[in-house]
Amino acid sequence: MENEEKILNPQESLRIIRETIDLAKRSVRESGFHYLLWGWLVVAACIANYYFSAIAGWPPQKASMVWLGMVVVGVPAAMIYEWRRGKQEKVDNVVREWYGKVWLAFGISLLLIILLTVTNSISPVPFILTLVGFAVFISGYMIRFQPLVWGAVAMWIAAVACIWLTVDQHLLAQAVATVLGYLVPGYLLNKQSRTAHD
Amino acid sequence: MTKDLDPLLLSQLRLAVMSHLMVAREAEFNALKQHTGATAGNLSAQIAKLQEAGYIEVVKTYKGSYPLTICKITPTGIAAFEVFFEDLKTYFPL
Repeated sequence: MENEEKILNPQESLRIIRETIDLAKRSVRESGFHYLLWGWLVVAACIANYYFSAIAGWPPQKASMVWLGMVVVGVPAAMIYEWRRGKQEKVDNVVREWYGKVWLAFGISLLLIILLTVTNSISPVPFILTLVGFAVFISGYMIRFQPLVWGAVAMWIAAVACIWLTVDQHLLAQAVATVLGYLVPGYLLNKQSRTAHD
Repeated sequence: MTKDLDPLLLSQLRLAVMSHLMVAREAEFNALKQHTGATAGNLSAQIAKLQEAGYIEVVKTYKGSYPLTICKITPTGIAAFEVFFEDLKTYFPL
């Protein structure tokens, strides 16, 4: 920008605005870490819960304690990652802020779903899958990342499939949906981020 | 029918600064310099014009013993940018 005051035409103006918005979206796109972290933790917890409940024959309440392990590992790891990222990136951006709000609302709704279903002795899995599908769909739309949108569809299909499955099998449906809805988009986000940096 | 665009935002550097602040809300002077690729002198001059119009607020502070300049977009600036964007759309009929 050597020219002190280069006057723009409408096309150039739009290009500058688009470039800035693309930069903001890219910064969120680089957050494949959370999908991989939570994806692997959820898959591990689903399989462990299924094993203890359906194969080892543990009482359901005892078997479901594996989810506490997921929270104990996942929450500090996610917080440390965000703390380190915050130190590297001096500026926040609106896209990232909205993205964060979507997942904050997801977290609160998730806690409520777990509380409401467990106190009514209902499997929380189909409701969680529906909610995850919602959050993943919005996230995918916000950053224009199609694999997340398809991941959300996988979550919703798994939620419907739970109608015909036993409560233990819900966990296997959740594991498969998490691979498609979290892990696959997470790896693709990371791949895209690496390509963008090359 | 096309609308007249805000002349203050029709400058390449000023629009780049305002676009950046629309998504970042606030930014350090050096971050803006890096983002726009402008020289410090030119950037200062354009920031002063945006500040004069009330589109941005400039806060001078210190980071340790180093001076730090932070630019923040104001509600007036946000409104002006939104109007600019709406007016810009009239040049691209669907």
